[in-house]
Amino acid sequence: MAQVDVVEGCRLPVLRKNQENEDEWPLAEILSVKEIPGRKLYYVHYIDFNKRLDEWVTPDRLDMKKLQFPKKEAKTPTKNGLPGSRPSSPEREVRKSLDLNLQTATAPSRGKTLPTPNGTARRLMASQPGRKRKANCGGTDEDSQDSSDGIPSAPRMTGSLVSDRSHDDIVTRMKNIDCIELGRHRLKPWYFSPYPQELTTLPVLYLCEFCLKYLKSLKCLQRHLTKCNLRHPPGNEIYRKGTISFFEIDGRKNKTYSQNLCLLAKCFLDHKTLYYDTDPFLFYVMTEYDSKGFHIVGYFSKEKESTEDYNVACILTLPPYQRRGYGKLLIEFSYELSKVEGKTGTPEKPLSDLGLLSYRSYWSQTILEILMDLKPDNGERPQITINEISEITSVKKEDVISTLQYLNLINYYKGQYILTLSEDIVDGHERAMQKRHLRIDPKCLHFTPKDWSKRGKW
Amino acid sequence: MSKLSFRARALDAAKPLPIYRSRDLPDLKDCVSINRAVPQMPTGMEKEEELEHHLQRAISAQQVFREKKENMVIPVPEAESNITYYDRLYKGELKVPKQLIHIQPLGLDNEQPDYDMDSEDETLLNRLNRKMEIKPLQFETMVDRLEKASANQLVSLPEAKLLLNEDDYLLKSVYDYWVRKRKNCRGPSLIPQIKQEKRDGSTNNDAYVAFRRRTEKMQTRKNRKNDEASYEKMLKLRREFSRTVTILEMIKRREKSKRELLHLTLEVVEKRYLLGDFTGEVLNEVTVPLAEKPVYTAPVTLTNGNRHKAELKTKTGLMHQVSIKDEFPFDCVRPKKKYSKRDKLYTQRRPGRPPSQYTVNKADIKQYDFHSSGEEDYTPPLSPPSEPDEENDPDGLFAFRRKAGCQYLSPHMDQNLGVLWEHPELAGMDALRHRHSLTALSLPSRLVGLGRRRMGRGGRVILDRASSGLDVVLKQLDPDAFASPVSRTRDINRLVAQRASMSSGVSSATAASSFAEILNNIQSLRWHCFRPRPAQHQVNEGSRMGKPSLDGRVTSSLLLNTKNNGSGGLSFTAGADNQQLVGKTSEIFFTSAQCAKCTLTSYGLHSLLQCSSTGTSRPPHSATLSHSGAGISGRVSSSGIGGPLLPTHSSSSLQSLPNHRNHVSAVSPAHHHHSAQPSAPSPSALKLATVATTLDHVPKVTPASTISNLARENHEPERLLNGISETTMAMEVT
Repeated sequence: MAQVDVVEGCRLPVLRKNQENEDEWPLAEILSVKEIPGRKLYYVHYIDFNKRLDEWVTPDRLDMKKLQFPKKEAKTPTKNGLPGSRPSSPEREVRKSLDLNLQTATAPSRGKTLPTPNGTARRLMASQPGRKRKANCGGTDEDSQDSSDGIPSAPRMTGSLVSDRSHDDIVTRMKNIDCIELGRHRLKPWYFSPYPQELTTLPVLYLCEFCLKYLKSLKCLQRHLTKCNLRHPPGNEIYRKGTISFFEIDGRKNKTYSQNLCLLAKCFLDHKTLYYDTDPFLFYVMTEYDSKGFHIVGYFSKEKESTEDYNVACILTLPPYQRRGYGKLLIEFSYELSKVEGKTGTPEKPLSDLGLLSYRSYWSQTILEILMDLKPDNGERPQITINEISEITSVKKEDVISTLQYLNLINYYKGQYILTLSEDIVDGHERAMQKRHLRIDPKCLHFTPKDWSKRGKW
Repeated sequence: MSKLSFRARALDAAKPLPIYRSRDLPDLKDCVSINRAVPQMPTGMEKEEELEHHLQRAISAQQVFREKKENMVIPVPEAESNITYYDRLYKGELKVPKQLIHIQPLGLDNEQPDYDMDSEDETLLNRLNRKMEIKPLQFETMVDRLEKASANQLVSLPEAKLLLNEDDYLLKSVYDYWVRKRKNCRGPSLIPQIKQEKRDGSTNNDAYVAFRRRTEKMQTRKNRKNDEASYEKMLKLRREFSRTVTILEMIKRREKSKRELLHLTLEVVEKRYLLGDFTGEVLNEVTVPLAEKPVYTAPVTLTNGNRHKAELKTKTGLMHQVSIKDEFPFDCVRPKKKYSKRDKLYTQRRPGRPPSQYTVNKADIKQYDFHSSGEEDYTPPLSPPSEPDEENDPDGLFAFRRKAGCQYLSPHMDQNLGVLWEHPELAGMDALRHRHSLTALSLPSRLVGLGRRRMGRGGRVILDRASSGLDVVLKQLDPDAFASPVSRTRDINRLVAQRASMSSGVSSATAASSFAEILNNIQSLRWHCFRPRPAQHQVNEGSRMGKPSLDGRVTSSLLLNTKNNGSGGLSFTAGADNQQLVGKTSEIFFTSAQCAKCTLTSYGLHSLLQCSSTGTSRPPHSATLSHSGAGISGRVSSSGIGGPLLPTHSSSSLQSLPNHRNHVSAVSPAHHHHSAQPSAPSPSALKLATVATTLDHVPKVTPASTISNLARENHEPERLLNGISETTMAMEVT
């Protein structure tokens, strides 16, 4: 059979349906292969598509005629992650580890009829030689830092996102949870999340809607709900208007919830790192109230002290609530907090694609709102400095400039910079603002910023 | 062309930007090309991801349409919101409270079991319930306890019995069930948990390990550089604190040994006196066989000449020490190099010596018998107190090693007195005048010519005398004082000084005089002779040897200084006055720093003591050092009298000198009031009297430390008063 030849690292067109439900054959890379009784499944990453669309496909979706085998040079795993989200082929390494751990690698798959993706199991073994190597060379973090064997050292301890992919191996590049049930919703995770490994094989992972505890079965969830009396995030409500509330949770005081929240969020945030504890973060959870309680809609985390003017670390609207204005509401809220603090802020980088679109949209609307509200003063043409915009909005200066550029508002005219509002910009803005019903009302915010630097610890 | 050739200025965020509508600017299109002059800001995305198909499509759609098109959004995996059993699952309703919800800080711990029963458990429960009643919660609690108790290995049945305290049958059933279930469990625990990091770092790259603890180094986030630096400083401080403790321990031990030695010396002297062994023959007989011990081979030298008259006595005592191989107690023969060696010896005596080493070597004897610890105390160790390999190698221990980070001061020439005198350039009159001044003694009232006072160990005052061309003039000025008794004294003084200070260049010829002769001399000069003290007196060598001497007086004035500053206690154990403590300690280390050793350590110790005792952060080392320097000069000048002026008051005794602060040792730096009286030329006997009388009120101090030993000397004020009139001098004659 032809499939025998399809190994990790191969590239070939794979059938997928696009948004118009049409067939497409984008080029994809095989990241993993697993055998379930009767047939093989291939985990594919569509080149130039976001990782969240990676999926297990059946052999009939592969276009074997255009199969490309991994090129020796190209597939050298660039573990330092320079190629970004474009996955490098892990093939060589997997093979090597298979050789090294033949018995161990095969044992679990034989012992039980596990629905375990073999690729995952393999890669787990694959990481072992590296670990051993590191242990042998007496590996403290410092030692491993300059070791060139591709075993990365501990990442930096600030922030919540990783930009380099040094920790990206085949394990983290593949989704490990099939489905999460949360309240009324069933979510399809987009990315890897380090839930306990024994739970990753379940068809559905159950979460308590309020405390976000992970449970292996509906029965367990039922039992849990008899004991869990939370009906809102376990923090202080600092904002409420209509059904929208915000709860503030201290990552140090409420570790369990913060960790559960992070695990859930990791399913949808590619660059989020859970390497370190949640102590230096505050979590602002946005909820929507109904008679059952305060349901989580989204959240953002924020460093208690940021050295880089970050006012948001991670930000997420849960998929069922996406594209309904909640993301912008979260962003708006984050800037309202910055206004109370009297600081300007910016989200931690890197932004995701959705993050970039949301932030740009928010910045555009916020800035245009200001510009269009400026009235001529004594017949003079209205004018404003970038610093003023930044102060009014708490948007960091650089973000103001980039937004003005993106909107193509800045022009150099007769020896000076001017802002020009074109008609389609104005029209587009007005249309967008009509659709923007959800707004943060600063009067409903009850928030006193704490000076975390004055405390010994977070 | 011209438009393209000029460069737009950088965008100034502080400059107002006028706002135009496009329709107001029909000619704007001509300027568009210049828009490039505004540098493009990065999007903040990963480069590779930025190029992703759907994002690019969405961005361009937005650019074109100025709003989102339904089919241009970035596709995401689907989510469903149709859980039909939701209402059955989440029972009950919640009424929204009027107030914002505030969570009670301690309200969440109602000790519910973390374990949640699954359907398998339910089957078991149903079966068990036929025989007895067991509630799900009860079962969960049992499993929860079992799980949490078996972190490393499974709880055994007996342990489980203790743990659960349930009916035996139930317990057995649940336990067996649990063991079976756990064996089949794929995870490490029946309660699913996030993988924890392991200490050995083996989990550093395990993708399933999350929420690692941040290492302690990084607990400071803001101004991290700063915090790291101060953290390191704290570490250093801690290190040096413990070093201080060690040093103080050793000082304590040394002082104990000293006391013991004194007792022994006294005993020996008494015994000798009873035996009539005035020539030391018996002693020699006893000591010679013992002298085989290599440790004692080196002849003991008296390094201090300041107590000569006392030494005359005590030395005899010392000579009786079994540990000393000295053929003749008054062996004054000093190899010339001895003196120059002195500094070396000083620096050798480091607390680096292993504490266990109790053998008395030469340096120790000097130290134990004739030096109080006031001046030299301990040079801070260059190396941690006990390094085993150093014990075997005596030189190795004392060998000078440069240490990274230490500041080494160049040795002060004028500290090495003997050496100094050999310097021709300093022997010139100018140099003399700078270093010596005319000195008068109050009682016997006389001029002693050019002299220089310095502080010996333990605060004893040493007069270094110099002969110069001025002597003739001086004689004319005060022939009485310069008469023969003085010259006689000088003989003796010279003798003693030679021996005591290991001064260079003096032959032993003059020292050939016998013990009896010297005694005679002493008596004729009315020097106070040594009287052994009752043993219950807290012994210290100063009071023992030079009770009536200037020595004692000066020390007392010293003491006065400290007294003025506050409490009477200088003892470390008493913990009396912080400032004093700091002062003293710093002075100790100041002197040790003089020895050009280990400035760094002394600083560390110093500052650390400051911190510990005063609790206020003190300015840096240099400040303190200069501070102590100032204090030193201040004190000396205040107790001294009258510069190069000739003394007019018969009771004025001391000399004043242009101070060499290096020589001043036992001075607490904290006495500004003394510095406030700079070397004014005419302080009087009055002042000295005050000094002395104040001493009357000096409370007794527990002699727990070297410093308190200093205080010790002042028990007998009347003697001190007497002492004013009786001056001891150590003279160096070139």
